[in-house]
Amino acid sequence: MISVTDDIIIRAVARILIPFIQVYALYVIMHGHHSPGGGFQGGVILGASFILYLITHGLEDAKERMSELKAGLLSSFGLLIYSGIGLLCIIEGSNYLDYGGLSTILKVIPAQARSLGILGIEIGVGITVMAVMYSVFFDISTGGILPEDEEDLGEGR
Amino acid sequence: MSNFFLLFGMGLFALVFLCLYRAVFGPGVLNRIAAISAIGTKTLVILLIMGFIYNRVEMFVDISMVYALLNFIGTITAAKYLEMKGEL
Repeated sequence: MISVTDDIIIRAVARILIPFIQVYALYVIMHGHHSPGGGFQGGVILGASFILYLITHGLEDAKERMSELKAGLLSSFGLLIYSGIGLLCIIEGSNYLDYGGLSTILKVIPAQARSLGILGIEIGVGITVMAVMYSVFFDISTGGILPEDEEDLGEGR
Repeated sequence: MSNFFLLFGMGLFALVFLCLYRAVFGPGVLNRIAAISAIGTKTLVILLIMGFIYNRVEMFVDISMVYALLNFIGTITAAKYLEMKGEL
């Protein structure tokens, strides 16, 4: 189990760095369509900030900020945004994920609707990747067994 | 000016191999972690130099910042792993 580190340098650096990492991740997600990056890369950076918090501040604090349940819900929520935008395009009469059809809902020209549609898709992908990265790291670092479960399992594991 | 960047990048490229020697044969885990961290730093400088050579620095700055970030987190994670295993 990962406990809080007793080195003040690591804790202070992580506390200062984590907000900047998250703002940078949002920049990478938002600028995905005209610079390197996009939903996946931004999601990985966003997940890395949570992993940095887990490493430096321990499992107990990290579980209060982002529990496994929250990570699971967020990963499903990102997928819902992705497929929801895709299905909205079908409802508007174009193909799946053909964002030009969104122009009637958003009341803009089709070119602008395409730009906004791909932005929504990337936000959904970013949320999903962040949650899955965090939950994979969480599961690997605890071995799938949380500290409160260990009393139930006893010595026999 | 492009020639200068090219030569500088090639020099750093040669230095990466010296660090790689330390990462492969280095005695102990700590030497290896330090060598890999140094390789990551050199790689991000090489990425920036590539940006200057191709005249697209604004693209390569983004990539090199991500590289620096993940290098930092990777080093801390490896150190934490060793601390948990009690090798330090």
